[in-house]
Amino acid sequence: MKTLRILRIAIGLTCMTALFVALWSCSDGQFFTSQLETQSTTPPTETEELAETELAETTTKPETILPPGTILSSSPALKEKLGQFPESTTFAPIMADGTGKPEMQYPEYWKELPPGTFYDSESQLRMNNYALGTDGRVPTLAKKPMVLGRMFSYRTTAAPGQLPADLGYVHIDEVWVIAKPEVTPSAPDEDRPGCGAMLVKLPDEEKELPLPLKHTDVNGSIAGYIATVHVTQQFHNPYDEKIEAVYVFPLPQNAAVNDFLMTIGDRTIRGIIRERKEAEQIYQQARRQGHVASLLTQERPNIFTQKVANIEPGKQIDVDIQYFNTLGYVDGWYEFVFPMVVGPRFNPPGSTEGVGAVAHGKAGISGQKTEVQYLKPGTRSGHDIALSVRIDAGVEIEQIECTSHAIRKQQDDREKMTVSIAPLDNIPNKDFVLRYKVAGDRVKSALMTHRDKNGGYFTLMLYPPESLRQVRRSPMEMIFVLDCSGSMNGKPIAKAKDAIRRALRKLEPGDSFQVIRFSNDASQLGPKPLEVTEENLRKALAYVDSLKGGGGTMMIEGIKAALDFPHDPKRFRLVSFMTDGFIGNEAQILAAVQEKLGNSRIFSFGVGSSVNRFLLDRMAKLGKGAVAYIGLNDDSTTAVDLFYDRISHPAMTDIDIQFGAMAVADLFPAKVPDLFVGRPIILTGRFQGNAPTEITVTGRVGGQMHDITIPVDPGRPNAMHEGIAAVWARKKIEVLAMQHMYNSDPDLPETIKQTALEYNLMSAYTAFVAVDSSRITEGDHGVTVAVPVPVPDGVRYDTTVQH
Amino acid sequence: MKATAATAILALAIALPLFGQQGQRYETVVPPVRFAPVHVVIDPAGKPLAAYQFELKAIAGQVKIVGVEGGQHDAFRTRPPYYDPQALAHDRIILAAYSTDKDLPTQATRIATIHLQITGTIQPEFELNLTVASDIDGEPIDATITLQKGESK
Repeated sequence: MKTLRILRIAIGLTCMTALFVALWSCSDGQFFTSQLETQSTTPPTETEELAETELAETTTKPETILPPGTILSSSPALKEKLGQFPESTTFAPIMADGTGKPEMQYPEYWKELPPGTFYDSESQLRMNNYALGTDGRVPTLAKKPMVLGRMFSYRTTAAPGQLPADLGYVHIDEVWVIAKPEVTPSAPDEDRPGCGAMLVKLPDEEKELPLPLKHTDVNGSIAGYIATVHVTQQFHNPYDEKIEAVYVFPLPQNAAVNDFLMTIGDRTIRGIIRERKEAEQIYQQARRQGHVASLLTQERPNIFTQKVANIEPGKQIDVDIQYFNTLGYVDGWYEFVFPMVVGPRFNPPGSTEGVGAVAHGKAGISGQKTEVQYLKPGTRSGHDIALSVRIDAGVEIEQIECTSHAIRKQQDDREKMTVSIAPLDNIPNKDFVLRYKVAGDRVKSALMTHRDKNGGYFTLMLYPPESLRQVRRSPMEMIFVLDCSGSMNGKPIAKAKDAIRRALRKLEPGDSFQVIRFSNDASQLGPKPLEVTEENLRKALAYVDSLKGGGGTMMIEGIKAALDFPHDPKRFRLVSFMTDGFIGNEAQILAAVQEKLGNSRIFSFGVGSSVNRFLLDRMAKLGKGAVAYIGLNDDSTTAVDLFYDRISHPAMTDIDIQFGAMAVADLFPAKVPDLFVGRPIILTGRFQGNAPTEITVTGRVGGQMHDITIPVDPGRPNAMHEGIAAVWARKKIEVLAMQHMYNSDPDLPETIKQTALEYNLMSAYTAFVAVDSSRITEGDHGVTVAVPVPVPDGVRYDTTVQH
Repeated sequence: MKATAATAILALAIALPLFGQQGQRYETVVPPVRFAPVHVVIDPAGKPLAAYQFELKAIAGQVKIVGVEGGQHDAFRTRPPYYDPQALAHDRIILAAYSTDKDLPTQATRIATIHLQITGTIQPEFELNLTVASDIDGEPIDATITLQKGESK
């Protein structure tokens, strides 16, 4: 028996061993390593960017930083609250007092935190950064003793089908932002960061020398509303040994980067688009073997890394990048923006895929995959920038202004103008923002096309009909939904209440209104919307005055209360959420909005210093409305006045577009938003057919159906633009990347990659690589030198850069 | 105890040779990688060459295109030829260029240099097909195309 038992055990072990070996064999010896590789080499997702806002003082002692997933609480209320987040949620609390002790009470914590400490990612990141900040962003009940983290992050992955399909078509550039912080330009100043002379020392080198990025030359041309921009970065090597230069830089987030040239002396080599990992391998192999090579990768849709290998002493290598993008347009003004420096980003504890902000020479201390090195105040590199934009508006240019830089203008004729940065304002430490206005009564919807072997592509800038300006809005049903959770307590709720008071006073006879509050539950002013009368307004103002912050953020209750009652067909229903949006179940909220929206429109006000823009932008988009952001030091009434100005004329809603003889497919956005006075929309798609035709736009204006007819000629030569296919493909990639955030479909990354490869476009999954194979430079591949940049104008180095 | 020890020894005796075989079987050899250019020459037979398109195919060896450079004549030197990204996404190399210069090449001239990554020890062999060559009016030219292998210096 004993022998039999031993034999059985032996056979069992043999079988297990054989199974192990079989697995190993089947996977070509890569069974385990491939798993690891999959995790470690997953390309970054297409993400939105963190706000370039002043960040927190991040000098918390390292030992007080608790690992992600730690929840330091014995409070049942907090545990219950945290339990409302999805299972995949991870929390990384850091104690506010830097000690990690869990006894701190909410009010003390709130007071101790410095202003501007926290902000949300305003992004579509898989990982959003939510913070417990000065405005009380606390995911729990405020009045109970609890553990308060200095910040927490969460990671949400909605179950398939949980998120409305339309969310896949929500894009930041389509979100109508009514109010946002103003950027005040300032003149160059010798004492400001970004000025002076930055000198570095190479290891074992005594000489002080300038840095490898010498100059950036930006050359843009605008035709209609499409910009074609060439960015030339001049790298040189002022050292005595070979170097690899690494430069992290920004481009507009809707830039369709589709060409890449590397110039060595009088030779120019066109870079090739490749799968990102493949391009990185090619670059590293070329670098190791001593070839001059360059690699362009995308870290975020608006952050890129340029590497140039084997720059020999005294030599210069230029890299030229071409991109196309559509201009913004609001209230008659086109806006061309060229970002010049990546702002310091905040990364939640535990994250490694972010963009770290570190002091020059402190590579690696942020622990992030991508790092930007910043110059200390009072120092600068020799890097300067020249920028020139030629505008061909097609109609008379009435006004032009630059809010960021001193400029020089040269008028070629009434429709054409060349604008360049004044030579004294050549420090690349702030975005270049150029706005121009064309003759108002001549602005018309415009179709631009491109045709190649794959067929036709178009973009259509669809302007609201002029007749809308003559029509007053129809009566509306205004629903205010005020977030009264603990996190809104204090200044945020005061700002929100100011906004509601102002908005109530601007209602007109014939309108009706309702005021709903929510925290742990929802309640409202009356059982149904009230008519606008003096008495009702008095009641409403008194009710608003009585509201206070406290409790949880059961936003779903607010949404139900706002959208779940019958719609008055005689009135246009606008729902205005006043919230900081600090919730973790965005997918659920957005799904509820989608489900219950009906004919309502959502015009939200994001209130506070660290608003969840991800949520509010998407609510506005799904709700076919707009969003305005009110900072803690902003005047709420200005935002409300702008809001009423926008809605003082009826929107054209329920828009349907017939493209006539153009057979249109793959249209983005798939769901056409409402047309408001002063705000055109841009559609892009593919088409077949070349004959002149008419595009008919039908929509509802104040209960009446209206048509707009736009004669178009897709074959008209001066309506053609070579960048349209790239703009379309870039939009498609953006849509797919957004879907990928919530959709675990494994085919999506492959589809994105294939689209990017076929259209020669940068993406999270593709990269440009260029190698000069004809020559091997002498010696080792040299030292890697990161190009440090100045912190953006107005941003504090001490509180934003790890040093 | 004895039974356990015996079991362990037996299992090891069976498993060890298998692990040994694994170690021998999966020794990986990284194929050599190098970079080298190939030069493409077009002889337009006395006609001014204004535009061309050709396809390059590796019929032996493993190559990847890692850069495209212009030619020696000024008309084709400053702007490198364009490649067809859709073809490249399907492992085909199709290059094309045009020039609107007045001074166009009429004799055999290097019109492009293709920078390649070559993997493995097999010497790559290529097939080169001139799709079209034309003059400034778009009229086809009866041109010939040839390839010259280059090496890194």
